[in-house]
Amino acid sequence: MEWGFNADAPIYSQLIDQIKQGIIAGAFPPGERLPSVREMATEAGVNPNTMQRALAELERDGLVYSQRTAGRYVTEDQTMIESVKKTLAETQVQAFLDAMSRLGFKKGEILELVRRDTAREED
Amino acid sequence: MAILECRDLSKRFGNTPALNGINLSVEPGRIVGLLGPNGSGKTTLIKLANGLLTPSEGQILIDGAAPGKQTRSEVSYLPDRTCLPTWMTAARLLDFYGDFYADFRRDAAEQMLEHLNIPQKQTIKQMSKGTREKVQLILVMSRAARLYLLDEPIGGVDPATRDYILNTIISNYNPDAAVVISTHLISDVEKVLDDVIFINQGQVALQSSVDQIREEKGMSVDALFREVFKC
Amino acid sequence: MLRKLLKHEFRATGRIMGPLYLILLVLSICANVSVRLLGTSGSTMLNIFGGLVMVLFFVGIMAVCIVTLVLMINRFRTNLLGDEGYVMFTLPASVHQQVWSKIIVSTVWSIASGAAVFLAAGITVFRVDYVNDFFRWLEMIFRQITSYYAINGAAFALEALALLLISCAAFCLQFYAAMAVGHSFVGHKSLLSVVFFFVFQFALQFLGLSGAFSFEGFNFGGAAAIHAALWIMIASCAAVGVIFYLITTFMLKRHLNLE
Repeated sequence: MEWGFNADAPIYSQLIDQIKQGIIAGAFPPGERLPSVREMATEAGVNPNTMQRALAELERDGLVYSQRTAGRYVTEDQTMIESVKKTLAETQVQAFLDAMSRLGFKKGEILELVRRDTAREED
Repeated sequence: MAILECRDLSKRFGNTPALNGINLSVEPGRIVGLLGPNGSGKTTLIKLANGLLTPSEGQILIDGAAPGKQTRSEVSYLPDRTCLPTWMTAARLLDFYGDFYADFRRDAAEQMLEHLNIPQKQTIKQMSKGTREKVQLILVMSRAARLYLLDEPIGGVDPATRDYILNTIISNYNPDAAVVISTHLISDVEKVLDDVIFINQGQVALQSSVDQIREEKGMSVDALFREVFKC
Repeated sequence: MLRKLLKHEFRATGRIMGPLYLILLVLSICANVSVRLLGTSGSTMLNIFGGLVMVLFFVGIMAVCIVTLVLMINRFRTNLLGDEGYVMFTLPASVHQQVWSKIIVSTVWSIASGAAVFLAAGITVFRVDYVNDFFRWLEMIFRQITSYYAINGAAFALEALALLLISCAAFCLQFYAAMAVGHSFVGHKSLLSVVFFFVFQFALQFLGLSGAFSFEGFNFGGAAAIHAALWIMIASCAAVGVIFYLITTFMLKRHLNLE
């Protein structure tokens, strides 16, 4: 799994987003055990305490759960994963719309552009 | 208890002040960046922590004790220069470190040497500058110390080695040990740090956590550094 | 910890002194052969060759003496006051242990070099009758001393040995103290070390302690006088050594200034 960070947001919140994406995309499949904090930190090239914080937050949201000694597991609750997916999609769309409106496009124009673009890809 | 603590610490060289009333503390389990422009006093602070210099005023304490014979067995120090005896081979250096430091993990050092393709039979004199730096870092990181003081560990190495070094620091992480990294290459180390201490003209300009800076200021530590130390 | 420091110090110096002694041994054997040939052979070529070997032999002896001195100075300068000082002074060892390891090793090498030169000379002139003569001479001296002055030979030898050891150590410490002071400055470290060496030398002479290093002024009237002279010399060497030791350790502890 690829990790990347931008400059302005806190690193732990970027980690949360990226782990969520990993879960949705299947890099961390439902019900599977997650690597240890240290392994994940090393892989992402981040501080283990930061990774710990991100995982703790995900745990609080219920997306991952820990079993006393066996480590952390991804939730098996498909509806929860779906809802996370939906939330992430909504954020992406919102970001896209914001960027387009900054370029001066109206809602209708944006829709038209998207429709044309997706149609071309299908060809 | 803090593993490293400075109380009103000052150091002068003749009449030139190098550090002026430093107060700070580093807790176990933290990876701390000591950041500042060249000549800001980073190296002086680290040398004081190793007892290579004596404070002019105030105190510096390692695990509650002044630097000395006892604290040195708990501190693993990477100087800002290569200073290994050049006639020694890598293997002999492993003997040397193993002899003097009870916490030296020879197997870990051997593994790292092998990983970086450094032959044990080569003398330091035969090695390139970059390889010498790597050997020195391997020796320092192979100890299970309470406090690692790394003075410019990524200064003179290529980006691939830089990643290897930072990965070594992360994978060596121990909740009982603290790591202090002095550097001016902030963007490279930022992800690895818990806290940062900005030091300027011998004084602490800022002490904060990386996430706090990003959260409150909405900018990276690197960007903040450029703003604080704008010329 | 001192034991470990000594082990590594002997390792670092032995790799230079060992081969040097070996070369001197080979040269002295060659010199022995050429001494025998020089007198007997009629060939000019062989004589020239023999002369050359003798020259080499004397160069070898000088080399052992010079290297012993240079190594004593250089180990302190590079290993403690140079870049290697970053490694040495962050070892879990005290400054006292560091300095003692240097004193002990340098003293051992000085005495070993003296013995090596003596032995090399012995090998060069070796003939069975010489050896017999030497032992006969030694025995005679000893007997005469014992009977004439009623000196306890063993005590005398022990005192001489103690003086040798202590003066060697004090001599090393004069260099160490000079370097420790000289290197505490920001620039011109080596030059200042030399200056301080001579400052110490003058100070010693001024104090009149250097007078105690020679036999002048002592009256060899009896056994007691010789004992007294030896003890005065031992005590003054020890006093000088202690002063230089205190200077060295104080400077290394409080005013260490690695570049």
